[in-house]
Amino acid sequence: MISLAKYSLWQFRDFVLERGIAIVLIGSLWGYVMFEPLRRAMGPQWTGDQTSPVWGVALQVASAVVSLSVLIAVNGIVSGDRKAGYYRFLFSKPINPVIYYAQLFVVYMVGVLVAMLILSGLLRTIFPAFSVRNFLLYAGLIYVAMGGIGFFLSVATRYDWLTLAVVWLGSRILRSVYGSRNDWRSKAVELLPPVHKLDEMANSLIGRGSADTSDAVWLVGYGLVFFVLGLVILRRGSLAD
Amino acid sequence: MPGASDHSAARAIVIEFKNVGKTYRSLLGNSVKAVEEFSLVVAKGEILGIAGPNGAGKTTLIAMMLGYLRPTAGTVEIDGLSARHYVERNGIGYLSELVAIPPKWRAYTALVRYATLAGIPDGEIHQRVGYVIELLGLSEHRDKKVKALSKGNLQRLGLAQALLRDEKILVLDEPTHGLDPVWTQRFRDIVDGLRRPDRTILIASHNLDELQRLADRVAIIDRGRLQRLVSTGYEHAAPAMTRFRIAVARGHELVRAALPQAEEAGRDEFNVTVHSIQELNSTLANLIAQGVLVASVVPEHSVLEQQFREAVGESS
Repeated sequence: MISLAKYSLWQFRDFVLERGIAIVLIGSLWGYVMFEPLRRAMGPQWTGDQTSPVWGVALQVASAVVSLSVLIAVNGIVSGDRKAGYYRFLFSKPINPVIYYAQLFVVYMVGVLVAMLILSGLLRTIFPAFSVRNFLLYAGLIYVAMGGIGFFLSVATRYDWLTLAVVWLGSRILRSVYGSRNDWRSKAVELLPPVHKLDEMANSLIGRGSADTSDAVWLVGYGLVFFVLGLVILRRGSLAD
Repeated sequence: MPGASDHSAARAIVIEFKNVGKTYRSLLGNSVKAVEEFSLVVAKGEILGIAGPNGAGKTTLIAMMLGYLRPTAGTVEIDGLSARHYVERNGIGYLSELVAIPPKWRAYTALVRYATLAGIPDGEIHQRVGYVIELLGLSEHRDKKVKALSKGNLQRLGLAQALLRDEKILVLDEPTHGLDPVWTQRFRDIVDGLRRPDRTILIASHNLDELQRLADRVAIIDRGRLQRLVSTGYEHAAPAMTRFRIAVARGHELVRAALPQAEEAGRDEFNVTVHSIQELNSTLANLIAQGVLVASVVPEHSVLEQQFREAVGESS
């Protein structure tokens, strides 16, 4: 346990070099490309607060950057080691793979939050009303919700990035098609990941600093259930194919 | 099984495969039996070789021994614990057939990382890493990225990480794969130096000569089954019929006259077939008594090679 805790520094270093820098670069470029031309065009009319006509767009971009960052963070979190065979030397050492990957999930969450902290600092230069605290809360919540499912898929399949994208997009599409109907299909889609709550959550949590508690619990609970399920499969299944 | 009972009776059992089976099933319902009804005990202090043709099930057995794969039948126990449980508690020095280390890691930091995971105290990590780097001749490559290492150096790095801790159990899968002759010999010396009454070593290899030199016993596996368990010591050798190549420095004509059935295998060399070691010795004694100066006596195939050919031949 102590050796694993010490190893978390290496895990964090890997996150920064392999994922964190990419997340910050993508997020910065995205924000720059989206808002810099608008700011120039609006000139002195640019206020960067909640009354600004681009405030809603800023929240949507921030939300999308968080989702993309989580996708980048959890991509191959377990399957990468299995595909490349790195598990062989790692787990011949006296460590428990379940604890190793649970720790990795938490370390990557810290990494995502640090990346979001940097990005929100940059965003505040053009949107002074943008709340770093609210944004980090949102990022943490989405990491658990979306990352938990990603973690599970990374344990269960070798193509987790693709599968997570399909699950995420598929849930959005199926919910929009069947969610409002009053038949068994609308009940069935309720079991899918609660992606429809993300936009609402982004508006309320990042924008106003408050969120519907039941929505937040539903999102976090959904992710946590899949995260734990991933750990159970890791414990009971085989590391090798 | 020759040799099987001797070892388990004389020394404490460390590793035990009990009727182990591993069947791979595809989503379409096809199944392949990689290992079947495999039972074997390995004693404390023993060096056990595992030999078999490609696809015989050697690597699957090792993966089950490290708890990376779950058997579909039977159990693998180490020191009375399930294999995975033992590894998580104690660790095993393991060199896999394919050395997989992230290519961007540098040799030295890779070893520091593995040493951290192995639980080596902070104050000893650099000393221990320095020791294995020196032992495996990696000093000039220590700051290179893994992707820049040659196949042989990568293999040595793999071996270095297996030797970081003073492990009670070492598992080496094709350890000399990619090593040049100098390092192959060096590796043999290192393994010889690792032999200890409380340390058990498993070596899976295609190289029968290597196993003959290093192992106490060799499990010959084919098609997922244990075909034979062979003791490598010559005291156990009781070949039904073995061919030896005898080279003479003097007395060529005398050999031809004394052994008319011997085949001439080249200048001053003869192939002689004997039915026992005793017969070989009496033949040599007779030649020497007649004035022949024997330069060398080499079996055409080692005891192990002979057993391997018979075992794999029988099963195919």
